[in-house]
Amino acid sequence: MSQFFLQQQKSAELNPFPHIVELACQKIQHIQFNSFPVRQSLRLQFFYVNEGKFEWSINGKGFILYPGDMAVILPQQDFGSEKAFLDLGIISWITISPLQFTKAGNMLLGKWSSIPENETKSIGKLLSLNHLPVLSKLATAGHIFQSLQKEMAEQEIGYTVRVNQLIDELLITVVRHLTRQNNLQRDFPQTFMKLEQSLRNNLDHQWLVEEMAVLVGLGITAFTAKVKNYTGFSPLHYLINIRIAEAIKLLKNTNNHVTDIALETGFYSSQHFSTTFKKLTGYTPRQFRKNNKKNT
Amino acid sequence: MDCIITIDIGTSAVRIFAFEMNGTAIGFSKGSYPTFHTEPIYSEQDPEQVFITVLYVLKNFLTEKINAKKYKVAAICFSAAMHSVLPVDKNGVPLGNAITWADNRGKKEADDLKKLPMAKTIYDATGTPIHPMSPLIKIAWIKRHDKERFSKTDKFIAIKNYIIQQLTGECVIDYSLASATGLFNIHKLHWDNNALAYAGISANRLPTPVPVFYSSLQLRREYQVSLGLPKKTKIIIGASDGCMATLGAGVWGEGKATITIEQSGAVRVAGNKMIRDSKQRFFNYLLTDGYYVSGGPTNNGGVIFEWFAKQFGIFNEAYGIDDSIHTLIKEAMQAPAGSDGLLFLPYLLGERAPLWNANARGAYFGLNIKHEQKHFIRATLEGILYEIYSIGKILEEHRAFSTLSINGSFASYPLWAQIIADMFGKPVSVNNSYDSIGTGALLLSQTEMGVYRNLEDAAKTVSLQTNYHPNKKDHQVYMKYFSVFEKLSYKLKDEFEEIALLQNL
Repeated sequence: MSQFFLQQQKSAELNPFPHIVELACQKIQHIQFNSFPVRQSLRLQFFYVNEGKFEWSINGKGFILYPGDMAVILPQQDFGSEKAFLDLGIISWITISPLQFTKAGNMLLGKWSSIPENETKSIGKLLSLNHLPVLSKLATAGHIFQSLQKEMAEQEIGYTVRVNQLIDELLITVVRHLTRQNNLQRDFPQTFMKLEQSLRNNLDHQWLVEEMAVLVGLGITAFTAKVKNYTGFSPLHYLINIRIAEAIKLLKNTNNHVTDIALETGFYSSQHFSTTFKKLTGYTPRQFRKNNKKNT
Repeated sequence: MDCIITIDIGTSAVRIFAFEMNGTAIGFSKGSYPTFHTEPIYSEQDPEQVFITVLYVLKNFLTEKINAKKYKVAAICFSAAMHSVLPVDKNGVPLGNAITWADNRGKKEADDLKKLPMAKTIYDATGTPIHPMSPLIKIAWIKRHDKERFSKTDKFIAIKNYIIQQLTGECVIDYSLASATGLFNIHKLHWDNNALAYAGISANRLPTPVPVFYSSLQLRREYQVSLGLPKKTKIIIGASDGCMATLGAGVWGEGKATITIEQSGAVRVAGNKMIRDSKQRFFNYLLTDGYYVSGGPTNNGGVIFEWFAKQFGIFNEAYGIDDSIHTLIKEAMQAPAGSDGLLFLPYLLGERAPLWNANARGAYFGLNIKHEQKHFIRATLEGILYEIYSIGKILEEHRAFSTLSINGSFASYPLWAQIIADMFGKPVSVNNSYDSIGTGALLLSQTEMGVYRNLEDAAKTVSLQTNYHPNKKDHQVYMKYFSVFEKLSYKLKDEFEEIALLQNL
């Protein structure tokens, strides 16, 4: 694979692609000290190992990557090598600048991408909840990098469309691989428990069914059916169970304001909380709290 | 028209059934809640989530299937999983999560107690084997290792008690569920002093025991309104799930036994005497005063075959485990009874009855070069059922039975049912009702309401047809291999201990 290095504002080839910050394939033949220190990444980066063995630190954790492995680095994550240099070998990478990427994983890519906005958000959420930034044995990603390089080099008719499609393709490949890597697709109870944990840890997030489905690696219809079959509830109703259960504990064990409890457990407002709570239990949250404290 | 509602608060889900007064089923609904394993041997549930789930499912069920169809609820009856412990403070507020039956944190406390002469006295009085599952052991553990929670605790209750307390304000426990705590004297029907002393508590830190027919419970006004139930709706406290399943299977009196295989499994008999096993291998739980459901539980039921399917089954679609299990069972049929001498010890989760050895582990034994995949599948299945048979065999030393009824999602696969018939050499009937716990609760309610004179008459109404007859030749094959299976289970005791230590589980 031939080497190349394109950088926004320095390489004219990237003019039609303002969202691509860097696109490169490099063969590292010499160790260059201080060329690759750990620092905060500002963009979304994908690093693919073609040859060699690389020791990197991502978000404070050490990883060793072998050929076929890819590292996914999110904006604001620390990335680099503890030794501050790149090991010997060949790597490809692309750095993308999304329009938006919040800490909670709220991502917007921009007009260049043909992934619908709601799916983009789901992808962002999945990436931000993921604790394993290294995807192993992802040869497909290697092919995508090769195609990207070819399109850029040859600039044949339609290449601007193809390049953007390839980046979409890369994102989709990553997300699908992630859900398969994280979920044993044979064990729904185990997968569901992981999802449950994510819901609990981010209870104040306004979860969409799409986002939950992506985490499990299923389409919305199949996901909803599986959850209904397994739990007896639709995904959103199941989520309400968790919300109310957590709210009950806060009502009983703390003196927090009802409004704070409502927001903390993911209700839009104290009104929304009170209505849902009363509908289910027959009590308003305030009555419920009074009732459980006066039983002394 | 009047109807009866049964609510089963199970290990992983609440199941609600409705029946017309004559027993015709009207509808069913379920809702599940998670079990948390914060440590590998811990097993906990959030009482609030269980409560909300029960309430939510009940409310929807009443709205859609009962009130909408103009049924009037004459009675609601409860059953629940045994052995849970939930410490609550003086306001009845839970102090953390409930500890479920599957929790093994009290391993050492159980071992310590077993070595004391008092163990036999406690077992004879309470009928519950000394084991980490038992609330007696769990409370002793909390006292030793979670002193703060122990001192804050006003009462140690079960999840079922918590749900009923939330709904009615009363903190009571039925004799049946109490009899599974290891703290209740099943002969004298009160908390047992020796057991209390070992747990380190006095009787006022436990709920008040009441008969299983106890029905002077009343829904709190708010729930009458939100559920749309009249004030006078009868609430029957009911029994434990195991006792209800036995009643629902029509097992009453001599000569009958029932086998349940869900994730775990059990072999049970019922009668008016406790089984006094010198090795303390069998439980004796009260179905009602003076009536004992006795038997042995295995940890390694359907969960083991599911484990096998997940590892080695073929999956045509994501999470399609049911398909995968069906395919495997079909393939198992290609191998002969006895799997040509391949044996499987199913102790992946340690074992309760009859070994009572938490360190037991699984093994395939007797492999030769001619064994194929189909032998592995069949051996796995046979191993699970040899274990069921081994419980039944020792149980029969105490109480003879000539017929078997089976229930539970795994036991009712035809191949499984046939192998059970062949191993025991006894005719097997499949329980017609799809849920014997619900049926048991129905029969108990009907008895309370005077439809039947007593539970015995009620149990007789469960219709059983013999569906599987034993095959003599296969029976002989199984018996030859079983003798090796049984010897291995005991012979490997030292090695089980050694490997468990290395595995650090």
